[in-house]
Amino acid sequence: MKKFITFTVGAIVAFTASIVNAADDVTIQLKWVTQTQFAGYYVAQDKGFYEAEGLNVTINAGGPDIGPMSVLAGGGADVAVDWMPSALAAREKGFANVNIAQPFAGSGMMLVCRKDRGVNTVADLKDKNLYVWYYGNEWPFLSWMNKLGLATDGSAGGVSVFKQGWDILPLTQGDANCVSAMSYNEYWQVLAEGLKPEELTVFRYEDEGVATLEDGLYVKEENLSDPAFVDKMVRFVRASMKGWKYAENNTAEAAQIVVDNDDSGAQTVEHNTIQMSEIAKLTAGSNGALSEADFNRTVSSLMTGGSDPVITKTPSGAWTHAITDEALK
Amino acid sequence: MVYFWGAIVFWILAWGINIWIARQNESKVLSLFPPILFGVSVMFIWEASILQFDVSPVILPPPSAIYYKFISSIPILWGDFVQTAIKGALSGYLIGCGAAFLVSLIADKFKFFERGVLPIGNFLAAMPIIGIAPILVMWYGYGWQSKAAVVAVMVFFPILVNTVQGMKMSDKIHKDLMQTYNASYFQTLLKLRLSTAMPFIFNGLKICTTLALIGAIVAEFFGSPIRGMGFRISTEAPRFALDMVWAEITVAAIAGSLFYGGVVLLEKWVTFWHPSQRGRA
Amino acid sequence: MNKRSWIGSDNKILPVVCIITFIVIIWYGFSIVLNAPWEYDKAKRNSITLSTADLVSQTWSQKRPKLPTPHQVTKEIWNTTVNQKVTSKRSLIYHGLITFYETIYGFAFGTGLGILLAIGIVYNRATAMSVMPWIITSQTIPILAIAPMIVVALGSAGFSGLMPIAIISMYLSFFPVVVGMVKGLKSAEQLEIDQMKTWSASKTQVLFKLRAPRSTPYLFTSLKLGMAASLVGAIVGELPSGGGKGLGFRMLSGSTFGNTLHIWSGLFSAAILAGSLIAIISIIQRVVLKRMALEL
Repeated sequence: MKKFITFTVGAIVAFTASIVNAADDVTIQLKWVTQTQFAGYYVAQDKGFYEAEGLNVTINAGGPDIGPMSVLAGGGADVAVDWMPSALAAREKGFANVNIAQPFAGSGMMLVCRKDRGVNTVADLKDKNLYVWYYGNEWPFLSWMNKLGLATDGSAGGVSVFKQGWDILPLTQGDANCVSAMSYNEYWQVLAEGLKPEELTVFRYEDEGVATLEDGLYVKEENLSDPAFVDKMVRFVRASMKGWKYAENNTAEAAQIVVDNDDSGAQTVEHNTIQMSEIAKLTAGSNGALSEADFNRTVSSLMTGGSDPVITKTPSGAWTHAITDEALK
Repeated sequence: MVYFWGAIVFWILAWGINIWIARQNESKVLSLFPPILFGVSVMFIWEASILQFDVSPVILPPPSAIYYKFISSIPILWGDFVQTAIKGALSGYLIGCGAAFLVSLIADKFKFFERGVLPIGNFLAAMPIIGIAPILVMWYGYGWQSKAAVVAVMVFFPILVNTVQGMKMSDKIHKDLMQTYNASYFQTLLKLRLSTAMPFIFNGLKICTTLALIGAIVAEFFGSPIRGMGFRISTEAPRFALDMVWAEITVAAIAGSLFYGGVVLLEKWVTFWHPSQRGRA
Repeated sequence: MNKRSWIGSDNKILPVVCIITFIVIIWYGFSIVLNAPWEYDKAKRNSITLSTADLVSQTWSQKRPKLPTPHQVTKEIWNTTVNQKVTSKRSLIYHGLITFYETIYGFAFGTGLGILLAIGIVYNRATAMSVMPWIITSQTIPILAIAPMIVVALGSAGFSGLMPIAIISMYLSFFPVVVGMVKGLKSAEQLEIDQMKTWSASKTQVLFKLRAPRSTPYLFTSLKLGMAASLVGAIVGELPSGGGKGLGFRMLSGSTFGNTLHIWSGLFSAAILAGSLIAIISIIQRVVLKRMALEL
């Protein structure tokens, strides 16, 4: 009898405690594995910014086989980090998602080529082996090739395109003339392999005018008609941007926080500190609100992707300032 | 709701027809109906469920959408098929089977070798393809050769295990009989032990048909030129062109089934004497 | 008459050791060959000429080698198992245990499903005719493509974590069991089935007393394949499941960061795991078949 009473009392206490302490639950799905590319969210969690806003946030890392849009569509997360081309493609195919914030103003995508394999300028790209990621990252490349007038089917006078795996070894140990890299991740892997910056020709998509918007926050459109959800997102974005600005100013600490949160044990502080300083360059231009000019630039880039554009109609209602207006007041 | 219950009723009717067909005498024509009826009823339930439960097309497309995509993309699908199934999977399958067969013959002749190789073969076979594929792509480049290598590695061990087991299956009494005929090692091998081993060998061959195609497709995830079934699946999925993904999956299913069916026909011809081929046991 | 001795005719240790030594020697040789192009490339860019001794020592100690040497792999495994706490996320044992649980669940589901389907196919012609072609077709569907869809679908139904991975693992492991057991259950000679009929045995009795024992060699071969398939399925299932845990994810993150040593150490751990599980099945097989006088 005594045990029963203790149990019931305990249950009642726990129940009431959960009602009193009802912090709102938010699940965020990241685009890739745990790394400082997502430092803002990990820092916000570790430093208590989310807690201060009354949020209980679960951060789900992504990976090679996880599509943030699919997870969002399946209800596995409230908000997802994804790149704009992928989100717009999903929207056109029937999944109504909306961009609520854009922490990354700049694009880190680049094509890294070896000078000793004959690539010094854009004109040298003809008839070379170019390695490109797909998974939604091929659009800037395809529209760039379209702009340069280079066919991508391997015909003479064009380029031979290969679907890059998840590393940069084709450039070092394979026969690639160029590989795709992010300024904050794979570029440093190339350098770690022993190639020096003066041996490389680097084409930044930003400089070539074909960059698209990268890491942004997306939610299901139907959730935005629920005022409680909107309020949750406002608080979430506010705390996340606080986390981002903190991370930009404290790169070493941010790197350590991210590595501590890495479940796979594969990340190193050294790699992530470098990554954080590079990421800071991309987030510095943004306070979280999406720039309409950038959005239009991305859309026009996506609609001119040659024979197989990712979107065929100009999207409407794909983004909203409602959340960031409130959050940044 | 109408569609959904209609699909369920259709399924029950189809099952009834299948039971009736099963009771008839075996006939090649009739035996085609049960799998087709079963498949069609599953398709109806699938289509009806999507309509009924309003499933978003970025999660699962309905069979009708897949069908339309399929017939409108035949050239692409054919090109992918040649790249993956013929150049990658088939060549890898033949290389792997050949190698496994040779090694098992050596293992059969030299017991010392067998006792050493089987545990190691166990170990090597247990290496998952997710680890082997990137390494082989690193070694053999992005072309079809690395895919064939992955497939060869994948099919090697099941064939080896089954062949070695099969070689042991000849009854002692049959082996003694061959000895009384003063048969040489090779005669015993050809006339008795290979034949008795055939059911086991084909067991392995059948399992490996599907492994081969999967191996080639998975290997393409780790790097490929811009064609091939694995390439198409891995790139169309993030574009949410799930109908294309399923169209490719359909091609894979058809190709794999035809391959399997081919091996089964071969098995019927070679092991006509085995109980499982002879009667309605 | 079963005396066992060190160099007895049944002993496995000596042959295995011999073959392993042989493989290791060839391995070191191949390390030089495969890692050499990168060394030459580096030397050319830095305008150094490589002596043979340099070449050998450097190809055996590259940071991201095409073919790491046995001692590099061993050192990496040692560092991530013995030198790490078992609960640390950098420990291979931690990830190995996670994959182990997923594999066992998937194997159990897969074997159960496989045996049930096999019995259904052998006993019910309607099932055999309609379902068998689809079972084979199911294996031609590349699981790597379906896995994310299964994870998302189960996730929205509330199942996450171990369950979707076990289902994916089951998907791969039930097939060898079905194929093997159908063959096995049918391998009873017609003569023997007729004899059971003369003893007026019921269908269940025929199943348990004739077909099941006759199918044991096939069952064990299939179980071994099924176990390997379960492990592959568990690893494939880990990729779309997020969470970043398990050997599969570890290998993949090694591949993502070009950390070939991670790939090789993960590969070897997975192989050791599968090898041990299969060895257990082999031991059970030998005991059972000896008692049934099917293997002498």
